[in-house]
Amino acid sequence: MSPARGQDGQNAGLGRQVRIVAGQEIAFDGEGFFWDFDEWSQEAAQELAAESGLAELGEEHWRVLNFFREYYQYHGRAPLNRDLKKGTGLSLLELQGLFPEGIKQGARRLAGLPNPKTCN
Amino acid sequence: MIYLDNAATSFPKPRECFERGLDEYMELSASPGRGGYDAAMEAQHRVDQVRRQVAAFFGGQDYVTCFAHNATDALNTLLRGLVDPGCHVVSTRLEHNSVLRPLHHLREAGLCSFDLAPFNAQGVVEPQAVAGLLRPETSLVMLNHASNVLGTLQPAAEIGAICQERGIPLILDVSQSAGAAPIDMRAWGVSGLAFTGHKSLLGPPGTGGLVIDPALEVRPSRWGGTGVDSASLLQSREYPERLEAGTINLLGVLTLGHCLELSQGSAGAEAVAHEQALLRELVQGLQELEGLTLHCPGFGPGRIPVVSFNLPGMSPHDAGVVLDGDYEIAVRTGLHCAPLLHQDLGNNEAGSVRVSLGRYNTSGHVQALLAALAGMLGR
Repeated sequence: MSPARGQDGQNAGLGRQVRIVAGQEIAFDGEGFFWDFDEWSQEAAQELAAESGLAELGEEHWRVLNFFREYYQYHGRAPLNRDLKKGTGLSLLELQGLFPEGIKQGARRLAGLPNPKTCN
Repeated sequence: MIYLDNAATSFPKPRECFERGLDEYMELSASPGRGGYDAAMEAQHRVDQVRRQVAAFFGGQDYVTCFAHNATDALNTLLRGLVDPGCHVVSTRLEHNSVLRPLHHLREAGLCSFDLAPFNAQGVVEPQAVAGLLRPETSLVMLNHASNVLGTLQPAAEIGAICQERGIPLILDVSQSAGAAPIDMRAWGVSGLAFTGHKSLLGPPGTGGLVIDPALEVRPSRWGGTGVDSASLLQSREYPERLEAGTINLLGVLTLGHCLELSQGSAGAEAVAHEQALLRELVQGLQELEGLTLHCPGFGPGRIPVVSFNLPGMSPHDAGVVLDGDYEIAVRTGLHCAPLLHQDLGNNEAGSVRVSLGRYNTSGHVQALLAALAGMLGR
């Protein structure tokens, strides 16, 4: 079971918006992060990736997205930076370059993890 | 980890000062001002010593120190205690949310109006910009002494002179400058300031307060026990009790007193000189990195060791993640609770990367950061 919404500082104060993605009605926050971890699908991730300029999610992209999702499901929170590096086998600079929108808006968002609570 | 986020909180802390504070606290074991027995009297005496130590540190030898939870708490106390319906406040677009949010809430409640002075290309609020916003009904000027984003010190003395001429109290937020730059509130015509203990003063979180000219009438906005004048059902009119409802953080205050010694006299001057040398090295190094946008660059007098920048093709958030995960360098990213400043810089969505140095940083730390950034820019 995925962590309850509201954990990990997600979505605080950001407006909920519903869109049709990959034929599915999905809620997102104001920055395009999944409102509900369980509404994620591979098809939705692929369509969102295409919107960001990544026509095809390759093997390495899926390895990163799957790591994010598995880690989050198991630990109930997003991986720390060091976990991300170790778990994906990529430097974070490589990971940042792998997704057109980088780590937060790219990989993390496409993996369906909640919007991190940061100072912006 | 290389810690370059001292503007959020200083790290590491001076262990010996914390141990002295804890030892003293364990020995005193009484609530200051809450009893006539020796331990309570002694605790009160020590708290009063730290009050005087704090006031003197800021150049307010006969001013009053009232402790608070932090600078934000102290700023709220000052604002709520000084504004009246119909009054007008002048502040700046450099302010932290610790001032901006109270001001906006007070305006929403119909308790004040305000105007915010802009800053120039050097990250400085020009005194005339403040003077130009003053009105007959202006009853307060609030100034962030050092920008927590740009590291620029504001001309507090010049603005203080303008305020004194008009009989308007000037309140200074010294959250970032306390311990990082000299402050002389009496000489500058500052009626009150709000400070935090856990940044450049190296103290524990949960400490801070305000130092005010005792002639400044700050109405209490919280009420409760003070240990004195208990027969009265209204808050004591005397400072500091007027603004200190409830038991104060004795452990924090004692520890802060010990930490403050490291910022006084020659020890403090040496620390500031050390930080300034590192700032110069950092800024000069950053200026050599092609593609990096450094906001309002500068070093030397008029600066504290805080700089902000953006990297091309990488959000500040991701830059922070890469610096942490790949290089074990901790920096702050985002808006730094200064949304209007970032609006003016054109970074109001993602903010910037902020590097803030402290007295325990070294040239090696600066060089490690510069090498990491060069690697990130050159990929």
